Amino acid sequence: MENKAARKVFRKKRDRRRRLAKLPFEKKIEIVVALQKAAAGIREDPRHIIWPIQPDLKRPRSSSGR
Amino acid sequence: MEKAIRVIEEIARRGIIRAYAIGGGIAATYYIEPVLTYDLDIFFIPAKEGLDVLAPIYDFAEKRGFKARAEAILIEGFPVQFIPAYNDLIREAVKNAAILKYRDVEAKVVKVEYLVAIALQTGRAKDKERMIRLLDEAVIDRAVLAGILESSGLAGRFKKFESQFYGK
Repeated sequence: MENKAARKVFRKKRDRRRRLAKLPFEKKIEIVVALQKAAAGIREDPRHIIWPIQPDLKRPRSSSGR
Repeated sequence: MEKAIRVIEEIARRGIIRAYAIGGGIAATYYIEPVLTYDLDIFFIPAKEGLDVLAPIYDFAEKRGFKARAEAILIEGFPVQFIPAYNDLIREAVKNAAILKYRDVEAKVVKVEYLVAIALQTGRAKDKERMIRLLDEAVIDRAVLAGILESSGLAGRFKKFESQFYGK
């Protein structure tokens, strides 16, 4: 059985992921670090190291992927 | 991260390894939305084949003051996991790597078509999930992917995957 509302939500999620996929790689790495911090906030795991990345505001950012 | 990339490039330049390419979650993140990952996975082709192909890398790391931590080496605060290219597909992926730019450094990264093939070959639940994301979000050259799947004997498995997840 088709569900229009669910299909719309899934399409929007897919569109959002595709937009995220187009972010510059440097920005993506900043998001990875944010995810690491968020995960540590939920449950700290001594095996996991949060990467020592500082936002680089000076340099122009290269584009990601192809 | 650029410092870690510079060290990895130096390891290759010094001939400690023959070639390398970033794989795993960071390679996937290059092509798709960011994924939670903690290690920088480096597939490499050893300079010399042997029983302990990791030893020259660990020797270099020790001399430079980088410490081993679990299965990784901490390079400038980054856990870097060196994984020897363990089959023909991975060796080919390393040889045909693309160039990734991060700030002012460049590094080799596994091409997206190889990432799909490697995920299919590895076949864990998280690899299947990654495959779906790569196929949905990344720009994939289908002809290149088909060639890789054919030459690595994965074409049949890919058909099954497409049938299971895309109803093709």
